[in-house]
Amino acid sequence: MLFPTATFAIFFLIVLPLSWLAMPKVHRWRPLIVVASYVFYSWWDWRFIFLLAGCTIWNQLLAVRIHRATVPSQRQALLWVALAGNLSVLGYFKYYDFFVSSSDSLLSLVGVGVPLELQSIVLPVGISFYTFMAISYVVDTYRGDFVPTTFEKFAVYLSFFPHLVAGPIVRPGELIPQLDTPRSPRRVDTSRAFYLIATGLFKKVVIANYLAANIVDDVFGAPGQHSSFEILIAVYAYAVQIYADFSGYTDIAIGIALLLGFSFPQNFDSPYAARSIQDFWRRWHMTLSRWLRDYVYIPLGGSRKGTLLTYRNLLLTMLIGGLWHGAGWTFVVWGAIHGSGLAAERWWRGRPGHVAPPDTRARRALERFVTFQVVCFAWIFFRADSFGIAWDTITGLVTGWGEPSPLVTSGVLLAIVVGIGSQYLPARLPGLLMERFARLPVLGQAAVLAFALMLTNAMGPEGVAPFIYFQF
Amino acid sequence: MASEPHPSAPSATRARRPRTGDDGRRLGTAGHALAVAVLALVIGSLLSAPGLHKSAYNQQPGWQRDVALAVTGPLAGLSSALLLDRPRALVKAAIGRSGDDEIDTAVVIPPAGKPAVTKPAGQPVTKPGPKPGAKPPATPAKVAFTPQKKLRLWVAGDSLVITPGYSIVRAAVASPVIQSVGGVDGRVATGLERPDVFNWFRRIAEQVKELRPDVVVLHFGGNDDHSYMTGLPKGVTVDGFGTASWRKEYGRRVGGVMDTIARGGGHTIWLGLPITRSPAQTQRFDLINAVVLQEAKKRPATATYVDTYTSFAGDNGGYAEYLEDRRGRRVKVRAGDGVHFERAGGEMIARMVLKRLNEMFDLTSWRKKAASS
Repeated sequence: MLFPTATFAIFFLIVLPLSWLAMPKVHRWRPLIVVASYVFYSWWDWRFIFLLAGCTIWNQLLAVRIHRATVPSQRQALLWVALAGNLSVLGYFKYYDFFVSSSDSLLSLVGVGVPLELQSIVLPVGISFYTFMAISYVVDTYRGDFVPTTFEKFAVYLSFFPHLVAGPIVRPGELIPQLDTPRSPRRVDTSRAFYLIATGLFKKVVIANYLAANIVDDVFGAPGQHSSFEILIAVYAYAVQIYADFSGYTDIAIGIALLLGFSFPQNFDSPYAARSIQDFWRRWHMTLSRWLRDYVYIPLGGSRKGTLLTYRNLLLTMLIGGLWHGAGWTFVVWGAIHGSGLAAERWWRGRPGHVAPPDTRARRALERFVTFQVVCFAWIFFRADSFGIAWDTITGLVTGWGEPSPLVTSGVLLAIVVGIGSQYLPARLPGLLMERFARLPVLGQAAVLAFALMLTNAMGPEGVAPFIYFQF
Repeated sequence: MASEPHPSAPSATRARRPRTGDDGRRLGTAGHALAVAVLALVIGSLLSAPGLHKSAYNQQPGWQRDVALAVTGPLAGLSSALLLDRPRALVKAAIGRSGDDEIDTAVVIPPAGKPAVTKPAGQPVTKPGPKPGAKPPATPAKVAFTPQKKLRLWVAGDSLVITPGYSIVRAAVASPVIQSVGGVDGRVATGLERPDVFNWFRRIAEQVKELRPDVVVLHFGGNDDHSYMTGLPKGVTVDGFGTASWRKEYGRRVGGVMDTIARGGGHTIWLGLPITRSPAQTQRFDLINAVVLQEAKKRPATATYVDTYTSFAGDNGGYAEYLEDRRGRRVKVRAGDGVHFERAGGEMIARMVLKRLNEMFDLTSWRKKAASS
């Protein structure tokens, strides 16, 4: 069930009033929302609701046992069991074939085969997201940062449909306390919710889909037949497409949660206005980057064990981040570029005699420009189906200047300018728009929203393309 | 921690608190949210009624389509009567897509009858034509292409064509005598049964005229294994998928597409449907392949059928997701859905197409000429 579809609109119009009707008795609301979330999830493949249920039972059982255990070694052993369970499920569904085929390729070089059969494994949608949320829950319990909640609340936490299939990756301390008491039906942030839903739909349906259909898919399908200018614009277009696609999804998810009375953490903060790679990761998929920081980078030692180990930890964290996105070596390279970038920035700032230059407007512009180019270069590996395509794209960037570029149209350039330009809008503008919207009467708000829906529907291509992050 | 209310969690008690958020913005109520959502969807539906009606029409037959049509039909009428469809029409006109909301079911193909036998026109041949009175050669001379006069190749079809299409285009880029024109025109969820969803007959006729391809690689049928067809000629009915009437009408459309391309001077290479994970679907695809093969056989000079079925079968003759590549490595050739192709599968199809192109056309003699001169 995709957000921008009539099916979801009907589903939500049923769930929204039922949720608020049940809300005063929160013990009735929780089973209702779990059922609704499982219905939502079963729309892709009903069999995977058992996987989600199994993940819920497994992590709740172990979190409770970890909490009750008093002997440190026992607590640690239980944690490892919990992690092994989660990572095994993720590993089997997402990485099994990747592991077997990669091992086979490697070992065939020395004439040895892998005695494992490749299997046709269907990847359950959202598994990377809810597995990471489950790991948060058991690790936070182990660290003593969180007391395990009831099974019912944990089931809501893990399966709550607005975040279920593509995040944001909500931490237990952010959502579970909101499940303790009924949300107030008199304090719903409707203007922010509708603003996020409307802009999220526009970003996904109009900007992302338009760029995918009009330049990105063609160029990355066969980069060798395109001019350097087309390839360059396609790389920028992909940067905008993936931002519009993913941030559009999370905007809608946050908006839907707000209408139900819940708040989710922010996931994007104008990432293409970042002045460094480190700054980029504070603005891009923020819930994933802080997850990687708290559950990978810091446990590895963070920056506490010396300069070289800090670089190693940054690189390892980003390699894992890359592999989280997809079972492919191109994703690993994407992670390596970001990891190396983070390490290089750290070295640059920490080198002896380094004095931070004055923070001028020109300097800020230069930093933003350079960061954006590095991020776009990394996106080539993220988007390319193979190293061959990535290499063709990179070489095509320099070998085909002066050739015709029919795919670079005014519409494509406008969509890129809108996508990047939106990140430089004054921070107070959305607040002003929401404030104006909040002052309108019900009919006025409905009319504004209806017009936005019409505009999105009319300008978007026919059909609904799936969200990019669904495959992760 | 878990047992304590979240600091920001509002109380459900009746105690009145100012209904403003932290930033001073006015907050709403749950009833307000529901009222705005319902009204926005009602008004939005009226504003978008022509598009919704078309989407409803394009659905597969069934109760959902019947319900959707029953709702969107009157909605479109009301929207038109209240002039609420005008803003959408203006937006569509402004972005150059005025015809988007029209339901186009016209199957525009050359009239049935003698299949077109037009050969690619205006191309140089390797040998001069036979002298008057001379014995005709056993095999006709192949049309030759050179780096100066490249073979123009266009790829089109449903979603199944996308991955192999790009492999074919990449192969074309690597060849000095093949030029990809129009890229890969792959349209998800389309086919020849439902011109209302996307009118391929019109599209192919337009593109053949504009791009002047020497070869058109087509891949259709993945969405055509249903009974319902739109654009039937007057008085024609189709009894059900696979029946004689269905085969006749589908064959007319396939043949019509081949003739459209032939009349534009092009040769059709029609990629057959592959074996799929579902035996029932494979059976339906077999039937479609048989119809296409029959039409291609009627037009040996202008259409070629390329079988993908056997190439993608495993050792036991059944569906295989992994096959050995040219280097003997097991590679994933089929997508997780059991129907579409992975890149390695696309490369296999591209090699098949290139092989056929080399059989049909002279793509190499220019090298000898260049070497001798």
